[in-house]
Amino acid sequence: MADGQKVYEIPIGPIHPALKEPIRFTFQVEGERIRGVEVRPGFAHRGIEFMGLKRNLIQVLYLSERICGICSISHPIAITLAVERAAGIEVPPRAQYLRVIFSELERIHSHLLWAGVAAHELGFDTLLHLTWKVREEVLDVLEELSGNRIDYSIPIYGGVRRDIAPAQVPKVEAMVRHYRGLLEELLDAFLRDPSVAARTRGVGVLTPEEAEALCAVGPTARASGLSKDVRQDRPYLVYGELGVRAITPRDWGLEPRGDVYDKAVVRLLEIGQSLDLIEKCLDEMPEGEITSFPKIPALLAHLKKAEGEGLGWHEAPRGEVIHYIRLEAGVEEPVAWKVKAPTYSNLMSWVPMFRDQEVADIPIIAASIDPCMCCMDRVHVVRDGSGATLLMEELLKLSRAKTERVLRGLSPAGGGA
Amino acid sequence: MTADQVKEALVRAVPGLEVELRPRKVGVRAPVEVPELWATIGRDGLLPAVSALKGAGPLHISIISGRDLGETIELLYHFAVGYGTPGGEVMVTLRVPVPASDPTVPSICSLLPGAETTEREKIEFLGVQFSGIPRTDHVFLPDDFPGHPWRKGDPETAKLVKRTVEWEKRDG
Amino acid sequence: MSGLQILWQGAAVLVGGGLLGLVYKGFDRKLAARMQARIGPPLRQPFLDLGKLLVKETVVPKDAVAWLFRAMPFLAVAASFTVLLYLPWGPFPAVLGGYGDAILVLYLLAVPAVAMALGGFASGSPLATVGAQREIVMLMSYEFPLAVAVIGVVWRLSTLGVGPAFSLEAIAASPLWAQVGPLGVIGLAILAACLLVVTPAELSKIPFDIPEAETEIAGGLMVEYSGTYLALFYLADAAKTIAMAALVVILFAPYGIAGLLGLKGAGAQAVDLLFHLVKIFIVMFAAVTTVRVAMARLKIDQVARGFWLQITAVAVAGLILIVLDRMVVG
Repeated sequence: MADGQKVYEIPIGPIHPALKEPIRFTFQVEGERIRGVEVRPGFAHRGIEFMGLKRNLIQVLYLSERICGICSISHPIAITLAVERAAGIEVPPRAQYLRVIFSELERIHSHLLWAGVAAHELGFDTLLHLTWKVREEVLDVLEELSGNRIDYSIPIYGGVRRDIAPAQVPKVEAMVRHYRGLLEELLDAFLRDPSVAARTRGVGVLTPEEAEALCAVGPTARASGLSKDVRQDRPYLVYGELGVRAITPRDWGLEPRGDVYDKAVVRLLEIGQSLDLIEKCLDEMPEGEITSFPKIPALLAHLKKAEGEGLGWHEAPRGEVIHYIRLEAGVEEPVAWKVKAPTYSNLMSWVPMFRDQEVADIPIIAASIDPCMCCMDRVHVVRDGSGATLLMEELLKLSRAKTERVLRGLSPAGGGA
Repeated sequence: MTADQVKEALVRAVPGLEVELRPRKVGVRAPVEVPELWATIGRDGLLPAVSALKGAGPLHISIISGRDLGETIELLYHFAVGYGTPGGEVMVTLRVPVPASDPTVPSICSLLPGAETTEREKIEFLGVQFSGIPRTDHVFLPDDFPGHPWRKGDPETAKLVKRTVEWEKRDG
Repeated sequence: MSGLQILWQGAAVLVGGGLLGLVYKGFDRKLAARMQARIGPPLRQPFLDLGKLLVKETVVPKDAVAWLFRAMPFLAVAASFTVLLYLPWGPFPAVLGGYGDAILVLYLLAVPAVAMALGGFASGSPLATVGAQREIVMLMSYEFPLAVAVIGVVWRLSTLGVGPAFSLEAIAASPLWAQVGPLGVIGLAILAACLLVVTPAELSKIPFDIPEAETEIAGGLMVEYSGTYLALFYLADAAKTIAMAALVVILFAPYGIAGLLGLKGAGAQAVDLLFHLVKIFIVMFAAVTTVRVAMARLKIDQVARGFWLQITAVAVAGLILIVLDRMVVG
């Protein structure tokens, strides 16, 4: 290629078929080679932390659950741990096991979701359909246990809101057996497929040094060979006793290279790990109370009196989630609340991963850290032509008002009005 | 690396620093204590403290959180020292109070490049300045958003909230 | 053939080919869906899609070179439908058989790709530009193995005294498999395999849908096309699918079954035409439908390297075997 070849810009996002959530990349491209990238998040910023400071702690808990649909157990676990620490609340053993079971179920469905998205980014739609069909099983179990496919509303300060009934245990066990059988097939379809390997080997490499310097977390860091897993390193709940071990590509008999393939290896193997953990928890879980505050008013009263600060952490499917909260006596709202989602930490890893890659690799590299923009961004600010700023709530209101108008117009009764 | 060693390293770097150990009991069958260190530190001590932490083990920054206390702005640096050591990681929180009249803090990006996003976030939300940060553009808010939403009584954010409430009323 | 005859036969082939292309697209989508454990769209979906696109607004982007942008869909449709006129249809000779041969068909097959690339460049979108560059690279990659496969068959036939050389009718009338020695059979099989690999590339289907690559460049070439123009490209694609599959059938499996069944006259013609269509379907199913559900999209450099090195090497090896066969068998 001639030296004088023009470097041109390709914008990807905020709305693009390769992106499941809004973010904007501006690539400097030379032919098919990427020379530089500019990442601009913030398109799903909804000011959740700001809202949290105006609400009581119970409301904040439900708000935290709505930071992201896929991590809808990770954020509540982190905030409950932080508040329990700040207010000195004990959690009954059974509740701790239940929290672990739910978070591992979430990990399975999240990793399967990722696997489908990754396959789609590669143009391998058959695998997308396969994995998402398989994913229904765990969603059914979650619905059975919590009543919801996502947003389970399970953790509450001092315990959990729902128990797993003895009659439900066989269903969970059946699911575990079902996935055990399927996992080999999934590993085969992803990791032994030559066309998947051709697209993912050596693509989007993050070296261990870069991963460490840029503070990468979760499977993104583990694929580079760093044995980092909050469940293993900084025990919480009962993870310390369950013997969780960080999974790296070495568990698949490969020397880690930090490419997209390795990230797939880590995520798929973690599905198996989660199955083991669920089985172990069901086995070891003691009988007993599931919450130390069965009555919500008592809990609120206790929280209002509490004074202190605390950190709560959790290894979400995508990596480390951490919440910092500060409570003051006599105030129902937290005086400080900070949420850190895994994608926030992994944001900077994109830059070295994109360097000198091809345009064709953009989608799979973008997807490889399993980005969750809504987790990361948390005040959606949209601008209309007049330069005024609109909040997400305004848009929601507008859309609801429009739905109502449409309904009024369509319904036979109000049609003529 | 145990909590005591990390504590020692911190005190060596910043003489006279008071480091509080807040252990947390974790587990059901055989509970263990997971150490957490908390320390309040002046902004001049921040860089020496962070390089001491970096020397103590693989260093990871989880997040910088903060709040506006009126006269001062309090920044909390949440680090994990020895990230990647099974059961041996120590959470270290450095509390850095800065006067609201001159909210400038040295950037730690030179020691830990991964801190850039969270420092930039503090610039837009709290109006804190970081000296030596490689980039200062907004992360989450629009590029031309004038306010700092986490500052108490920030007029721009108040305007935004007022408009939302008005919209809600109009819609109702 | 009289002018009038050519006219009505041509009309029949064009309308029939277009309808057939859409029906086969329907089958392709349904079968692919079934293989992916989905229900899939109804068989008539391509017709519905086409109908919908025709009534939709057609937007020409501000930055586009408007005349080029508008002209390219028509060129693509014209070229891909014209190919149908030069192909024999089972027992029926090509409508314009006397006016063009295999070489012309090869050129015409390349025209829609060039039209799409020019349309992409003309649309003024960076995504379309990337798609257009990719389309040109693809074209340069697969044309050589395609030409080797066609020329190998044609040359061997001409050495056997079947003429006129390069006439597709002559090729269809005398299947080569029985006329060559064992080396020739191996060579032919290799060339047939190469042509089957080229087919999805020629049609820009997974794993070769690189110029459009939805998740990468949001439809690439097609990103700015809408309404009628998009419908025209859709139609061109349907016709080209039929043409490409028919070419494979004509070159490598031009057999009828009417003789076996002992049929004669109109019945025989009908059965042979039907059989020809079934063969076209089988080629499409094998080379397009199953391949696109079983693979991930490749990258442009992988495709270029693959076609230029591996596939070309294999195709040339096939050609050499056929030359050797000529020297041995005569």
